[in-house]
Amino acid sequence: MKFSFNLIKKLAPGQYDEKLLTEKLNLHSFETTDLGNGVLDISVPANRFSDIASHLGVALEVSVIFKTKLSDFLSKMPKFDSKLSGPSVEVQDKNLCPRYMAAFVSGVKVGPSPKWLKDILEDCGIRSINNVVDVMNYVMLEIGQPMHAFDADKLKGGIVVRKAKKGEKIETIDGQKFDLDSDTLVIADSKQPLAIAGIKGGKSSEVTDKTKNILVEAANFNGVNIYKSSRRLGLRTDASNRFMHDLSPALVEMAMHRALALLRELATANAGQADGKDGKPTDVYPKKQSKKLLELNTGKINKLIGYDFNEKELADLFSRLGFKLEGKLWQVPEWRMDINNLEDLAEEVARFSDYNKLPALPPAVALGVAEEAEEISLVDKVSGFLKGAGFSESYNYSFISKEEAGALPKGIFGAEKPVELLNPISNQSAYLRDSLAPGLLRNLKDNSRFYSDMKIFEMGKIFGEGRSGVKETLALSAVISGKNSALEIKGLADSLFTQLGLTEYLTPDLNIVSDFLKSGEALRIETPEHQVLGYLGSLKDFKNGAIMEIDLEKLLKEVDEEREFEPIAKYPAIERDISILVSKSVRTGPILNFLYSVSPKLVEDVDLIDYYEDSKLGANHKSLTFRIVFRSEDHTLTDPEADREIAIINQILTDKFNAELR
Amino acid sequence: MANLEQLKKQALEAVKQSKDIKNLEELRVRFLGREKGELTKILRSLGAMPLEEKKKVGPAANALRAELEQALDKKSAELRVNSLKFEVGLDITMPGTKVGVGHLHLLTQVEKQVREIFKAMNFSVITGPEAETEKYNFDALNIPKDHPARDMWDTFWLRQNEQLTINKKLLTESKKLKVKSEKLLMRTHTSPMQVRFMEKHKPPFQIIVPGRVFRFEATDASHEINFYQVEGLMVGRDVNLANFKFVMNEFFQRLFGKGIKLRYRPSYFPFVEPGLEIDIEWKGKWLEIMGAGMVHPRVFEAAHYNPRDLQGFAFGLGLERIAMIKYNIPDIRLFYSGDLRFIKQF
Repeated sequence: MKFSFNLIKKLAPGQYDEKLLTEKLNLHSFETTDLGNGVLDISVPANRFSDIASHLGVALEVSVIFKTKLSDFLSKMPKFDSKLSGPSVEVQDKNLCPRYMAAFVSGVKVGPSPKWLKDILEDCGIRSINNVVDVMNYVMLEIGQPMHAFDADKLKGGIVVRKAKKGEKIETIDGQKFDLDSDTLVIADSKQPLAIAGIKGGKSSEVTDKTKNILVEAANFNGVNIYKSSRRLGLRTDASNRFMHDLSPALVEMAMHRALALLRELATANAGQADGKDGKPTDVYPKKQSKKLLELNTGKINKLIGYDFNEKELADLFSRLGFKLEGKLWQVPEWRMDINNLEDLAEEVARFSDYNKLPALPPAVALGVAEEAEEISLVDKVSGFLKGAGFSESYNYSFISKEEAGALPKGIFGAEKPVELLNPISNQSAYLRDSLAPGLLRNLKDNSRFYSDMKIFEMGKIFGEGRSGVKETLALSAVISGKNSALEIKGLADSLFTQLGLTEYLTPDLNIVSDFLKSGEALRIETPEHQVLGYLGSLKDFKNGAIMEIDLEKLLKEVDEEREFEPIAKYPAIERDISILVSKSVRTGPILNFLYSVSPKLVEDVDLIDYYEDSKLGANHKSLTFRIVFRSEDHTLTDPEADREIAIINQILTDKFNAELR
Repeated sequence: MANLEQLKKQALEAVKQSKDIKNLEELRVRFLGREKGELTKILRSLGAMPLEEKKKVGPAANALRAELEQALDKKSAELRVNSLKFEVGLDITMPGTKVGVGHLHLLTQVEKQVREIFKAMNFSVITGPEAETEKYNFDALNIPKDHPARDMWDTFWLRQNEQLTINKKLLTESKKLKVKSEKLLMRTHTSPMQVRFMEKHKPPFQIIVPGRVFRFEATDASHEINFYQVEGLMVGRDVNLANFKFVMNEFFQRLFGKGIKLRYRPSYFPFVEPGLEIDIEWKGKWLEIMGAGMVHPRVFEAAHYNPRDLQGFAFGLGLERIAMIKYNIPDIRLFYSGDLRFIKQF
């Protein structure tokens, strides 16, 4: 919000310039930027529109900061003419309009405003219209209370503050037309709405060059209602912005008096009653703002801040801020809507004494062990492992497109369908990601312009709608591009599981159609109890690409970090290599499983050490070479023993897998 | 004298012809050996020579010794270099083979730094859900419905069917608060964990909560639709503003270095009172780096604490902002680009 340095200084005279004032306001009050040419931009905190969205309020802060006095020209009361009589006022909805003040002003000479007034309006970004409208705007800038002037001769009957009726329309001063609904508060005459209350005035009663008599309005409106109406109509104005932040009804009277004094001075106007009896403006204010009385508990304030202020300096501060001592309690100024409790008082004390000058003291707490969420330790461990394995970490958005959502093999992470955003920022990010795969696939594609062999991973939350609501899961996904990527990622998964302490798991065929996995080259990763942990496999649309994705939360439940020493083998091992020729349709997995299980006591390890296909072998054949490690726990194995095992193995390979020994 | 000339010729020729270090050392003994070296002998015989001859032979013999020593050393160095060329099979001057090293995302690294510092100050590290209820994200934090204060947090809302509520486990606690609204959203800050944590734990405690948060806003070089925050909360009977300043001074000195200058100034967040912001001085400019304050009594009430018995401070900082300042990164969108040319720099 823009402020005029000149007006602030006029209200709170003192030895300071823009630079010093900006610095001090930042330090003690609120964020302020010096825009140059005598204009300050103040970011008004949401709870302080009532007191500092006005030059007067800022001037009060300034007077406290620099310990100077406020100018008293505001206290001049206007003169009233008790012979004048204007339209009546009726407030129908007193909750939405707690206070309504109106004054009938006659003999107005509409014309241009004086230069000083135009300058201040311009500094604050408001266009000068004519002296009447300018006074309304000026008072809003000075006091913080939005005002409105109606051309009194255009009104039909008295003023009614009520909710709009169904089907009512209004054309605002700037020519926009709005259909009103019954939640919107309007200022109406006996015929039609004249203004959208607290938001904008209407064309029909606009003040023009020809206007002779006006009705000046200063009113207080319910903040929530103005907020909602303003949103519904898509119309945010200086006035609505102020009202929606809750203004004090006390501003109404201050502003009215100020406006009438200025109109007399600048438009030679004569002010009087609207429908009152004593020559003063009408004031419909049935339920007065309640008085706030607070205890100034120095001990508690000191305990909260951690410093030793004395009672006298606090009393001084609050007097300067406009608080009044009533018995043992302090009355909060009516315009300070933000101050309601001890903590609020403590803030005034702390900020005016400068946070930077307050002490910094180590907290005295009992020593405890700092804990770390299991999830975080796991993430650290996994990312450390993957980094060591040559993977780089990517962060992708949590949002994906409708097309990308649901691409995951169905049911793999237990969610039934993806979660949709109510207000997406674009179609590209209309859903919550239900898998890390779409992001990583995009990373592979984007980076392939610069890199050929890539290893990328991501850890993050994925979302799905399950039977019990929105399910949020921590997932890990890794992708590889390059030769042999699918088997490499399978090996990676195995090393990772071993590292984490998951010793037993199964990798059956995925057997589910997926949008991005090559059919027949994808596996499910599951526990021996068939709890699905994730999947891995070759990518369909990315050459030499492979992916794995794991539910880390499920994995966390399975891992067992307890490790126990296993005696180092006492007796030597015997290694034997077996080369076989099998049909291409025979898969290696079952052969390996067989080799492991054929003689569990003697077979320690089996490895596929060579694999090739060649036209010389015949088009439908492949050659596999296995290295089998035999070892006995209780004696040195002899060659004849190993030979015997090999003979059995060869026999079964031939019978069961149709293998040709080479 | 003639002897000497002949010896010189003979010795220099032998050195020249020498093919290896071993032979060269033999020559050194033969001519310069302490006991029987041929030149040594001549030098030793100088004493017995007549003065006239001594004057002639002496300087010449000494000059020859110097010349011979130099020749031997030069040849020796030559042979050593040559022998190296012959023995090595690998050209070690070729570039080293690249080892596939991975890189953790810069935000992961910065988060780790932040966690380590707070853990060193006895803060526990916890996490919370990214999909939140309106209750925890706003209501419990004294951010009322239909108040413009809420506009400080532009929100992504989730489309909800009748059955679509958040994970029931997470709701049990909030039900006790007589929740009217269980509208779901993507959390706009990590602050909801303040109340969630307090509902289940008794003070005194000190925690931080790192995590991803979301804002419904147009992206540009300094705004993203998702980003990372670290929330902090310390509560006890006497935890005061001076303690907050101490913890922050320590934290920023460890993160940015001992010399870092901080500036505290007033600010407004509905869930703290007093509310503050912290700036750091970086390359001659003050940069906003953290929002904080003393926990608002309404927040204690939302967690069923008695605000009269307790005090505490809360703070929130943006990881991207710290990373951008510390590593001179010009655009926040780089963090979510997945661009390996960016990721692999750190």
